[in-house]
Amino acid sequence: MPIHGLKLGAALATAAAVTMFGLTSAAPQSAGPFTAVQASAGHSAFLENCASCHNRTLQGSGEAPALAGSAFMSSWGKRGANELYGVIKASMPLGNGNSLSSETYQEIVSFIFQANGATPGTRPFTGAATDKIAGFVTGKTPAGLLDAPVAAAPRRRAPVALTGLTVAGVVKNYTPVTDEMLTHPSENDWLMHRGNYQAWSFSRLNQINTSNVGSLQLRWVWAMDEAGRQQLNPLVHDGAMFVSNNRTNTVQALDARTGELIWENRIGPVLDNLENANRTMALYGNLLFYAATSTTLHALDARTGKEVWRTVVSTYKDDKIGGMTVIHGKLIIGLTRCDDRSVQDHCWIGAYDTATGKQLWRTLTIADKGTPGGDTWGNLTNDQRAGADAWITGSYDPELNLTYWGTGQAKPSRRDERGTDGDALFSNSTLALNPDTGKMQWYYQNAPGETLDLDEVYERVLVDHGNQKSVLEVGKTGVLWKLDRTNGKFLDLAQTVFQNVWVKFDKKTGRPTYRDDILKQKPGTALASCPSPQGGHDWPATSYDQPDDLLLIPLSQTCAMFGAGSQQFYEMPGSNGNLGRISAYEARTLKPVWTFQQRSPFLTSIISTAGGVGFVGDFDRVFTAFDVKTGKTLWNTRLGTGVQGFPVTFSVGGEQFIAVTTGTQGGSPVQKPATMLQEVHRSQTGQAVYVFALPKRH
Amino acid sequence: MVSILLRHLAVAGILLYSGAAFAADTYQANLGPMPLDASNRINMLGRGDATATLDSKTLTVSGTFAGLPSPATAAHLIVGAAIGVPGTEALELTVAQAASGSFSGKLTLNAKQAAAFRTGRLYVQIDSQKAPTGNLWGWLLPQHVDAPPGVPQQGPWFLPQLDTPSR
Repeated sequence: MPIHGLKLGAALATAAAVTMFGLTSAAPQSAGPFTAVQASAGHSAFLENCASCHNRTLQGSGEAPALAGSAFMSSWGKRGANELYGVIKASMPLGNGNSLSSETYQEIVSFIFQANGATPGTRPFTGAATDKIAGFVTGKTPAGLLDAPVAAAPRRRAPVALTGLTVAGVVKNYTPVTDEMLTHPSENDWLMHRGNYQAWSFSRLNQINTSNVGSLQLRWVWAMDEAGRQQLNPLVHDGAMFVSNNRTNTVQALDARTGELIWENRIGPVLDNLENANRTMALYGNLLFYAATSTTLHALDARTGKEVWRTVVSTYKDDKIGGMTVIHGKLIIGLTRCDDRSVQDHCWIGAYDTATGKQLWRTLTIADKGTPGGDTWGNLTNDQRAGADAWITGSYDPELNLTYWGTGQAKPSRRDERGTDGDALFSNSTLALNPDTGKMQWYYQNAPGETLDLDEVYERVLVDHGNQKSVLEVGKTGVLWKLDRTNGKFLDLAQTVFQNVWVKFDKKTGRPTYRDDILKQKPGTALASCPSPQGGHDWPATSYDQPDDLLLIPLSQTCAMFGAGSQQFYEMPGSNGNLGRISAYEARTLKPVWTFQQRSPFLTSIISTAGGVGFVGDFDRVFTAFDVKTGKTLWNTRLGTGVQGFPVTFSVGGEQFIAVTTGTQGGSPVQKPATMLQEVHRSQTGQAVYVFALPKRH
Repeated sequence: MVSILLRHLAVAGILLYSGAAFAADTYQANLGPMPLDASNRINMLGRGDATATLDSKTLTVSGTFAGLPSPATAAHLIVGAAIGVPGTEALELTVAQAASGSFSGKLTLNAKQAAAFRTGRLYVQIDSQKAPTGNLWGWLLPQHVDAPPGVPQQGPWFLPQLDTPSR
């Protein structure tokens, strides 16, 4: 719900911060225009319909603003209860406004009032009450309210009854995954998130090439659990494909050639709170690692699906596991959504023993007081330092023995809400860690003091040119960064989409300077942001086409008015209404090579192959093959719903296959176009994995 | 570092489109919906195009629009703080009071407004009955080639740039 706010904890940040940013707190007021029964029912409805973005604590997350606290007061205090109701009813859940009953919207708004300290009264809320919100809320969440038992929400979907190993079977001829295999992966497999440690998303398979890709055919399709943010990267090894379904936390092994189910483990729990995408799993030895949405790591026997060990990664209710990879027998993971400012809930990158599940080390991505970088958060107490989520899998250089991870923005996203205009280390940074110890070898902060929910967390692509070892990344601003990965020194940058957030860069360090009105932001005012929080680049990842030295980058072209109680979206100047763009840059020089635009944005990573073909899927259900040298479309087909996830390619029995998932939910990359593309209509079901190959020879 | 900077400029299209390029006479705009959310988007459909030519201090603007959900009521030329950043200072254009039609104007710009034009900070805005604070807008940018959707362009291509001395 696009209502700007600040979590209670932030509202109670230091008096200095409050004074500095001009925040005010409301005095306790009289009973509100709603009843206790409405608020109670609204709590259930909020958890089912709103909490996946705004958090069960109403703190918000990412682009979804907080719905409680001083910023909520700042945005909404002077406005009527009916106005809040009107906005929420028309626009929420995002992309599906007016999809709930009027009574449900009234109950949700009643709960939001109660969570901001309003006292229920005898007057039922009908949506018509014009009472000024500041007249009956305080901005303080009543103690215990958010943890109170909640009446069971009516389920929109049938519960899944079965749990555990529901289909037994064995992956035949499975060979244990070794360090050597991870370092030099076979082109027949897709062993890790981005295909190799360098995050190239490139395959040396060339059976499918520019001359024959036009005859590609669907070979099989596997329907997946509906709901949940589907952005999956299937893994493939020895002819078995491993997929996961994050709403039910179900993991399945399929025959990669035929689509036959081999085994299935319905790990659970089944969640209605669909707040996190599970993008990848990891393989090592005979184990398959799965990060459940309950923030629990599960090690399954990849051959049979039987659980070998499990370990709870965090006890904070809202934390989730982001990226994962295996290095030297250690399962390296990043933590995300770890931003509960009522406790000292920090994000971190950590390592677990793949054999036992024991935690070996963890490195915070937030600099606390008294630690290096701690002074970049001003006077904020440690519990008020949040964000820097590690929600994208890092890459790895075996020679330097360094793993490279990105971090997200500090939270709350806007400086005026988080109470400091400091750099907020180690948010929006590139971190180089020793995978054996977790020691931070170096860091480079791409976006110091970021303030518009513009992450720099995305894939770190490792490329060598002679003696130059670089790490390349594109963040939400669309700036392509090139760093020396031996020491973190800035080398170069290029702008891939229009941006108006940064007005200049330091020539030696790359440090950006923000637009003046962004620096002087005030609570309750909207700021123009190009790109929008959808990102010029987001989780749909770049491919490095190594033979041509090309970075193939999926880009988006939207802007937003960010803040003041809502986000409103608009087309990027110069884009002519084309929300999607793919651009190819030469990695050595960052010289632009080709680009093309289209109305719908792209919702998959790009993969490229030695056959000279790239693959990408989009919001409007189209899966496309293109010539990596020119960008020319060679083949496309339309799938059941949005093509969303990480395509992979693999070979079984001498045949090359291309696999891609479809999905229906997601954050900004889905929500912004869902609002803007009024002519595009997608099915709200249809999550699946599709597998394509050339026609069979007879 | 100089070579790096020059390459930056070339990569971003600066050499073609900022500085000297911003001194070009003819600019173009593609008009799309104003900032919207789910609560108001139904009133903010439509598209349009505009061209503008600056001759000394005289700016001549003309364009067309179509597909508005309600008749146009006014058209303005507005000075933004930067490309993509809404502004408040407005110059009036004449516009057809219809869901489709044309708009035009011949305006005398002061030095500040002319500088805004040359740096891409002027935009056309069309209001309509159901979107009285703005239905369509489009930023006047230096004339450039647009490839149709799905058709690749070989680099370098047009990307608007903020006009900053350091770039």
